[in-house]
Amino acid sequence: MTAALLGVLGYFGFGIICFLIPRARFLSALALVCGTISFAIWAPGFPRGHLGLGDWAIPWEGDALAAAFWGLSLFLHAVLLLEEVGKPRHFYALLTLLFGTVLSLVLSRDLFNLYISLELTSLIAFLLVGLEGRAAQVWASLKYLILTSCGMILYLLGVGFIYARAGSLSLPALSAMPPDTAIRLGVGLLLAGAAAKGGVFLYAQWLPTAHGYAPSSVSAVLSGLVVKMGIVAMARIAGAYGAGDVLVALGLITGFLGIYHAFWEKRIKVFLAYSTMSQLGYMLLGFGWGAWEGALAYAVAHGLFKPLLFLAAGRAEDEAGTHLIQRLAGKLMLSTRLGLGLGTVAIAGLPPLAGYAAKGLLFLNLPPWGKWALFALSVGTAASFSKLLPTIVRGRKGWKPTWGQFTLGLVVVGGGVALCIGKASLLAPSSLISGLGAIAAGYVVFHLLRKLPLRPPHWRLDESLLALFLAGCALLFWVLLH
Amino acid sequence: MAAQIGTVLGIGLVFLGFGALLLRRSLIWKLLGLNVASSGAIVFLVALSHRPGAVPPLSGYPEGTPSADPLPQALVLTAIVIHFATLALSLAYAISLTERFHTQETERIEAASEEEMER
Amino acid sequence: MKRALTIALLATLLGILLFGLTDLFPPAEVRPWAEMARAYGAGNGVASIVLGSRLYDTLLEVLVFALAMVGVRYTLKPLGKWREPVVPERGVVREMADVLLPVIIVFAVYLAASGHLGPGGGFPAGAIAGSGLLLLAMAKGIERLSRELHEGTLEPLEYGTITVLLVLGCLSILLNHRGSGLLVAFNLLIGIEVTIGAWVVLHYFASHRGEI
Repeated sequence: MTAALLGVLGYFGFGIICFLIPRARFLSALALVCGTISFAIWAPGFPRGHLGLGDWAIPWEGDALAAAFWGLSLFLHAVLLLEEVGKPRHFYALLTLLFGTVLSLVLSRDLFNLYISLELTSLIAFLLVGLEGRAAQVWASLKYLILTSCGMILYLLGVGFIYARAGSLSLPALSAMPPDTAIRLGVGLLLAGAAAKGGVFLYAQWLPTAHGYAPSSVSAVLSGLVVKMGIVAMARIAGAYGAGDVLVALGLITGFLGIYHAFWEKRIKVFLAYSTMSQLGYMLLGFGWGAWEGALAYAVAHGLFKPLLFLAAGRAEDEAGTHLIQRLAGKLMLSTRLGLGLGTVAIAGLPPLAGYAAKGLLFLNLPPWGKWALFALSVGTAASFSKLLPTIVRGRKGWKPTWGQFTLGLVVVGGGVALCIGKASLLAPSSLISGLGAIAAGYVVFHLLRKLPLRPPHWRLDESLLALFLAGCALLFWVLLH
Repeated sequence: MAAQIGTVLGIGLVFLGFGALLLRRSLIWKLLGLNVASSGAIVFLVALSHRPGAVPPLSGYPEGTPSADPLPQALVLTAIVIHFATLALSLAYAISLTERFHTQETERIEAASEEEMER
Repeated sequence: MKRALTIALLATLLGILLFGLTDLFPPAEVRPWAEMARAYGAGNGVASIVLGSRLYDTLLEVLVFALAMVGVRYTLKPLGKWREPVVPERGVVREMADVLLPVIIVFAVYLAASGHLGPGGGFPAGAIAGSGLLLLAMAKGIERLSRELHEGTLEPLEYGTITVLLVLGCLSILLNHRGSGLLVAFNLLIGIEVTIGAWVVLHYFASHRGEI
């Protein structure tokens, strides 16, 4: 635990010093080295320790989820340092602090510590989204701020209910509580608040504009890592209390509604943001049904191919001068098209890449109707991503890859192959057929449905707030009546 | 009795704030509503730390007097700072947007910023 | 129609929460905190939690505060200064500022230094010192005050304070170093940090006001 704490504090310290000293990128790299050494020391996990004395100390515990997210964060930090050269000092400082907070959040087992860590990650996210100062970005950041603040007010009310009834804030104490009305209501409020931070559909309608309008490397980190922090909080709380069915319901809602909106979205980065919301459905289903290994594998895999897609989409927007998908065809360089293509087939589930391997792991531990739901989601994902095919297939020649995209692509391919070799059942003919079948079915569904005159609703601030409160009310009713 | 009134007041303030956030059209009113709602959550937490006949949690009192719960007060210290920081940032964004669009109606700001992004 | 729907929704949520409230009283027993307070060298239960048992949360909170101030700075700086500088007050405000300002500063320092023994601590102290700076700005003129409080010195001071706080926090959590001296140090450092933050907010909002 000492090593982990020193790693996190080292990240914070280097991040603050980045504001003062000119060589910010170098200091950020030093923070990464510090974090890697710390991770190497505590890597498989450490038993529960307490930060501080007394009854109210903060419990910290390192387990498989923490290790997976530490690995993902350190890797994404390295990728972004390779990709972004020559940005102003405060960009590197904010990035380092963001990664430090993520590292701290996944280790925590205390309700209020989760609250502060979630607030700190989203505060840095607001700053990063609004960094370039264009009006649409500032409005997206403000919408993000308002919606997540409402969610966190509900979270605080939940903390109050649970503390007054239970006398303790730690998650292990929560598992030992009898299901009183106050505790159930408190858990419902906590889950609603964490869902608003975590990008679940209806709770977090800030996500499409915030991730869609932010600069590409910022979107990459937000979609790849920060959004999952809310999901991690929900998984920990529901895991401690036993409210897995809530997570399953939320996973189904966000999965299918996300695909519905992604299917008809015309702007490339907003499309990728809706796709993030839908992919969170996979993770919530996994955590809800107790398939933690599969859900973790999918979280890490998504954290690898979504940043690749966002970075490639950023290059595509720069090269084509537009962000509408229809107008991108024929204008992109080969390296950008390769990045987009690799990300698309990975997310659609082509064997043996990372997406297929992670979905396969998730498949193994689900009940039968869960497998059908997952298959339907895969078909939907493949269908919505089929609209990128004209852009990937036609284009200019030109080869200018960046180091960041190259490393991400390498790990997407290599990680998937390694996982498939390690778990032999993933290479069985039935899995391969269902994976390829989902992609084919998705392509067919895309061509059948794309002429339909359906348009998803436009989510402005008032509608997003109403959706948050409506969905929160529904969640509370479910938790109380169960 | 004081604790019950305090908690009901706190929750009432939260929903008053949420009502202003949803029903008002101007951005500054919405941010004020958010502020009131945060304060409501804080009043709720502080009210939970009261016990019947309690004294403040300081060490000068004789042994055995019931003392108030120090933990919600500690949580509230942190929550106040976080809400103040978020409010300051949101007002800075509101100033930036108002300078750009000369209006505070959220619908017009939203439409104008979408339009600006298309160019 | 939309108004009615919204009010109905909020009333339903309110009803659920009030229903949950009925189960909440009487609340759970207060855990004994006197031992822990003595171990940390504090006479105040809340200070022993904020700066002792849950010191890590306080460090994160200081980071939240500092980063929000960074955000305000970087959002409002591109807007440029307002074309009419704020006119300093005369008369009553000026005279009373001469009288009140020493009291305010001394009170803020007292609250910070004795925060581990009684109510108070770094955060209220910083807020009070910040409002003292507001009074000074109204009396002296904000342009003159901002010239005298050099931005170039304040920024490194703010970040340096946070770094020292992180190092001291590390000492306290990892090496189990405790005592009221450390608590006083924390309170004073947090007080300086919050004062500088409050000054940044005040300065940037007052001199970069946008147009309506």
